[in-house]
Amino acid sequence: MIAPGIKRGTAELAVLSVLEDGPLHGYEMARRIEEQTHGSLRFTLASLYPLLYKLEKRGWVRGAWETGDTGRRRRCYRLTAEGKKKLAPIRREWDELFRALKRLTKVSHA
Amino acid sequence: MRDWKALVEERLAGLALEPEDKAEVIAEVATHLEEICEEMVRQGISDEEAVRRTLSRVGDWGDLQRKIFAAKRRGHPMKKRIWQLWVPGFLTMILSMLFLTVLYRLGWRARLVSSGPNAILLYTPWLAGLPFFGALGAFLSSRAGGSRVNALLVSVFPALALTFAFLFMFPFGMTAELIMGRPVDFSHVATVLLKDGIGWIVAPGAALLVGGLLAHALLRTRSSSQHTAIG
Repeated sequence: MIAPGIKRGTAELAVLSVLEDGPLHGYEMARRIEEQTHGSLRFTLASLYPLLYKLEKRGWVRGAWETGDTGRRRRCYRLTAEGKKKLAPIRREWDELFRALKRLTKVSHA
Repeated sequence: MRDWKALVEERLAGLALEPEDKAEVIAEVATHLEEICEEMVRQGISDEEAVRRTLSRVGDWGDLQRKIFAAKRRGHPMKKRIWQLWVPGFLTMILSMLFLTVLYRLGWRARLVSSGPNAILLYTPWLAGLPFFGALGAFLSSRAGGSRVNALLVSVFPALALTFAFLFMFPFGMTAELIMGRPVDFSHVATVLLKDGIGWIVAPGAALLVGGLLAHALLRTRSSSQHTAIG
């Protein structure tokens, strides 16, 4: 299990990455992130929605009410062009960090 | 069947957002919780237990409320008002006045409605174009997150500005006449005020309001009728 402090930093990347595949509503987003990370990353309502609203305020995602086949209205989020632009450097930063940590842990274990 | 909206509304009662924003958050959180609960029921958990577990997943409602408030909180109210009221309002006024000037230059003159001393001057081509400017103002205000009242105020902004100009102009003019020792015929002033009020405030205001109401109704219909298949 990943510690909450580390998870917090990855939340933005997780949400933006999962939205890269297409628009999703909050419940589906949380479910996909949990599924794709085999349960390592789990979003509570208190972590997901404030983050989505912040990203929306920055203009990285856009939410709109939509009606599904079942007639249920949900707020669907889409990655905006601005969000797509921001995702690449965030991803690069995390990649760099993971590589650096890997190198570091390998050296210390040698 | 549970009323998830009511359950969430009760727990997020202290969420200090504007009513529209608050209603959206409540609806969104309620839908999310309802889906969690339905999933549990599908897995064979009893209805009562599913509701209990779903609500316990939120944990600290106060924490959720604080975090949502911090994330949703908008800019300074004054700054918000500038973009929702003043900027679109003045823009609507400037554009509608420019439109009147252009029409005048093109030779479109005011039309007299009825004849005699009580005839009212109406710029019919201008009046015909005003709903467009009213709609534009309402659209700009709504886009900036303005409420219905804001959008409609913006749409009639030129008429409101003219009202202020009239209210200032007439007492000022009468005082000037009195200072210069000229007699003031109050019944004549009242007639002019009424005639000009109809021609320059009531009729344009109504035309602008029609545009504002149409734009607002259109925007509401659009935002509530996006049908897309999901999952």
